[in-house]
Amino acid sequence: MSHHGHQHAHGSMHDDAHAGDHGHDVGISKYIYVFLALCVLTGASFFTYSSLWPFHSQPAIGWTFMMAVSCTKAMLVILFFMHVKYEANWKYVLTIPAAFMSLFLLLALVPDVGMRGRWTAEERQQFMAEPRDAGHGEIVKHGEEHAEEHAEPAAH
Amino acid sequence: MATAHATAHDDHAHGHVGLEYHPGLPISNGKLIVWLFLSTEIMFFAGLIGTYIVLRFGAPTWPLPHEVHLSEPIGAFNTFVLICSSVSVVLCMESAKKNNTSAAKGWLLTTFVLGCVFLGVKMYEYNAKFSHGIYPMLPHSRIYEKADLNYASAVRLRLEALRSGLDAESAAIKERYAEDPAALEQNADLAEINERLALVTKLTADAQAVETTAATANNVTASRAALNGLANKIMPLGHHPGADAAAAHHGLNDEHHWLKLPIVIPGGNMWASTYFLLTGFHAIHVIVGLIVFAMMIPMTLGVMATGFIENIGLYWHFVDLVWIFLFPLLYLF
Repeated sequence: MSHHGHQHAHGSMHDDAHAGDHGHDVGISKYIYVFLALCVLTGASFFTYSSLWPFHSQPAIGWTFMMAVSCTKAMLVILFFMHVKYEANWKYVLTIPAAFMSLFLLLALVPDVGMRGRWTAEERQQFMAEPRDAGHGEIVKHGEEHAEEHAEPAAH
Repeated sequence: MATAHATAHDDHAHGHVGLEYHPGLPISNGKLIVWLFLSTEIMFFAGLIGTYIVLRFGAPTWPLPHEVHLSEPIGAFNTFVLICSSVSVVLCMESAKKNNTSAAKGWLLTTFVLGCVFLGVKMYEYNAKFSHGIYPMLPHSRIYEKADLNYASAVRLRLEALRSGLDAESAAIKERYAEDPAALEQNADLAEINERLALVTKLTADAQAVETTAATANNVTASRAALNGLANKIMPLGHHPGADAAAAHHGLNDEHHWLKLPIVIPGGNMWASTYFLLTGFHAIHVIVGLIVFAMMIPMTLGVMATGFIENIGLYWHFVDLVWIFLFPLLYLF
């Protein structure tokens, strides 16, 4: 009886190894393409840092862009390097709930952690950092830094 | 119970209860465990990264990357290193599948070296923070959230501590050369100490003047201007990252590394806490991966080892995955 069960499990593992071999047909070149794509995408998110990036004044555009790039990179790694593209349907059981739980976790943090600055005691406010545009001349928006340098030579 | 027994009896005609085990998932136990572990890891890093995002955007202000000595090119380089190591793990597995053990060993060593390079760069980066007084906690952290009287008095206290230290050093040298005034005259250490003392005296006077102005000024604007001037002299803030990162290295603290004066980085404490926590936990994961890779070096990486390489590979890709999100969030946001 137990012998039978053992054989069964063994057979299934064997099948699995074969399933892995099917992915292998595509060969090493697939990994090279994914690698090149990942390099290009890393370059793309790094591009937001360069002076050629046209949206420095609207950071939200850069943030959205970078998150889109990161998600694409993550999908490439998960699908090809972690072979999830070639796995059976069990992959959804593990990944989808975890993805949703992560999202819920993030949302659950917003009221307590994200909005903590809205209701603070005066004693605490005394030592808290102030928003940069509160304006004491120390804050420089992009494109104004040269004016700032001339206005406050003492800063250097 | 009786029914179950009867059924079992009918099916197999043995004298006992028989249970037939089907694997729940069409994968090996090891791989299943790795995936279950990874799903807990997803939650772990989702908690950390989620908290970071929520703190980051809920904060009244956040430091610019160069104010906390973050270098985007170095971060991008480390991203590249991890991507390369992911590829080498995959190639290691492919070689093992073909039973090409020497190629598999080569790719494993490549992965190991790349992981070490990542950690080395990370250490270099941490050192850049530590040497500027950016720590996640006291007593080493020299970060103040804003230039206020509390900050000005901290600067003065530090200067006073420096002064008494220098005085003691100077006295010790004078005592040592008490019988030899000519050697004392030539002593380079003493000359440097005197130079430092002169600077500390000047700065103490400046700091005291600022403190007095701030405490007695009739309007808040004048008081703040004086305090911000002091903070800016010690470490200038507020230049665009791409424009002139070198500008941040013109403060007193960078001109005289021994000063180690308190610095003002608005939002710097929260930044340091989140940065060191996120990158620290990621680095721990890298170290664990490297330990496993090191243990694999003496193994024969043939077909038999494919499953094991796949499992450690899954973990390593996950570590890479976390960094893929950490890099833009920490360096570019």
